[in-house]
Amino acid sequence: MRGRVGEAKAPGTARAGSGGGTLRRYAAVLRAFWAANLEEELQYRANFFASLASTAFWLVAALLTAGIFFRQTSTLGGWGFWEVATLLGVFNTVAGVVEAFLRPNIGRLVQLVRQGSLDFVLTKPVDPQFHVSFRRLVVWHVTDVVFGLGLTAYALHRLDRVPSLESVAAFALALGAGVAIVYALWLALMTLAFWFVAVENLAVLFDALFESARFPVSAYPGPLRFILVYILPMAWITTIPPSILTGRMGTEAALAAMAVATVLLGLTRLLWRVALRRYTSAGG
Amino acid sequence: MAEPASGPAVPTGLSTGLSTGPAFPGRPSSWRERYWALFRTAWLVDLQYRPAIAIWLVLGLAQPLVMLSVWWSVAGEGEVAGYARGDFARYFFALMLVDQLTLAWDIWFVDRWIREGELNYRLVRPINPIHEAIADNLAYKAGSASLLVVVWAVTAAFWPAVRLPVDPLRWAGALVAVVLAGGIRFLVSYVHGLLAFWITRATGLFELHYGVSLFLAGRIAPLSILPPFAAAAASFLWFRSMLAFPVEVRTGAGATLDGACGGVGGQIFWFAAWLGAYRLAWSRGVTRYEGVGG
Repeated sequence: MRGRVGEAKAPGTARAGSGGGTLRRYAAVLRAFWAANLEEELQYRANFFASLASTAFWLVAALLTAGIFFRQTSTLGGWGFWEVATLLGVFNTVAGVVEAFLRPNIGRLVQLVRQGSLDFVLTKPVDPQFHVSFRRLVVWHVTDVVFGLGLTAYALHRLDRVPSLESVAAFALALGAGVAIVYALWLALMTLAFWFVAVENLAVLFDALFESARFPVSAYPGPLRFILVYILPMAWITTIPPSILTGRMGTEAALAAMAVATVLLGLTRLLWRVALRRYTSAGG
Repeated sequence: MAEPASGPAVPTGLSTGLSTGPAFPGRPSSWRERYWALFRTAWLVDLQYRPAIAIWLVLGLAQPLVMLSVWWSVAGEGEVAGYARGDFARYFFALMLVDQLTLAWDIWFVDRWIREGELNYRLVRPINPIHEAIADNLAYKAGSASLLVVVWAVTAAFWPAVRLPVDPLRWAGALVAVVLAGGIRFLVSYVHGLLAFWITRATGLFELHYGVSLFLAGRIAPLSILPPFAAAAASFLWFRSMLAFPVEVRTGAGATLDGACGGVGGQIFWFAAWLGAYRLAWSRGVTRYEGVGG
């Protein structure tokens, strides 16, 4: 069984790896995936309003939570209220990406492995990691992204800060790097499914970790701060991007974030390959 | 639908359900027997899902730990509204324990029972499905409580800040408060699930309830740190009764005996109120249930 799955995958990866048309081909596949998803999701338009209401509710809840801390203190880890608000906007944006892309895709990996339906993915002529990562799109969570960025922009306005074009570009890069880090964490976590087939709710571990990203990393006691920067890299996701916008950090922080993201993406790609070799399909 | 395993002694299909199987032919089982069977099943299912339960536990501890860490930094070497670092540690560790002991996830099951027709075979059983849910809760809490007490004892051995005063009266009071809080949270969760008889987004509504409880049940900060109107709303509604009050009794944060008696009174009131809501929702809902998907 192991051998057969491996062979079935081989032609796909071979073609995917061959030269210049690859990128265009993958872009076309992605378009096809999303067009299909969009058509499906548009049947449930009421979901849009539910998503909108839930986004607004949780944003207000996040601001009120910060407000409770700021009743007792004027700064949180050296950040003022509206600075924390720029971070909450970024948190909401990343959370939206998680719900739109990661949970419905890579989050289902455990089920695919357990039920053996990963076989169907492996036989398709695209890279299995690509297929498992981008097949689905829950478009409604775009509201989280829009409202999140909106909050960040509004908070900057309240801070009377007009960021330079350069720092907006650096912010965009850092945010992209943050999303890539989140993706790498999800992939690494879900890849554990190949070893621990019985654990259904691995994704919950990410949710637990992500709770810590609601505050600037400087608001944590020393040892935790170290962990959140160097071991469980949450600081790179929600602390670094807004720091660039508020001028707390220079644009070069974006480069560091991209370096971290690149390393993590590379490592998880490796992990994914090792894990896939373990896969023997449910029947095997 | 499940056929009775064997029941030659009993005339009709439906009435075989009144026995627990061949071991007690033809005799309606006692409540003790029924609960023992339900509890045992739930316990064995939980054992099967040990790793998954451990992961849910991690999620349950994450939010209070984040809050504790940030308050710890804010308090620094001083105090915040009368709370020093150690007080925050004691409060949030007690909160984690009480939260796990009173946790109720029944909304997710009941909502699915109703929307996907899984209620059908539960309705033909000779026992109200709520007893299955209660037995599930007892089994889960017996398991997680024993684990948590060990975790806490180990933590307290190394970290004096989370140790709790030894005072039999306080422990007894905390036990009563925790049991009542567990009852209230169970009923709140179950009743929200029953709303699926009428609406398709019962789980969404419960999410909102959770969002409000973050503030009013004392998950973000002890209620005395909240703005006065929020603390008042928490006491006026059931939110304090379902989590913050038992935590206060346990940590002894400004609780007098009179205050504790009043708190228990409030808990009994809200338990009764949600029990009434359950009876109403169940009797009204089940008559309009159409058994989709069955």
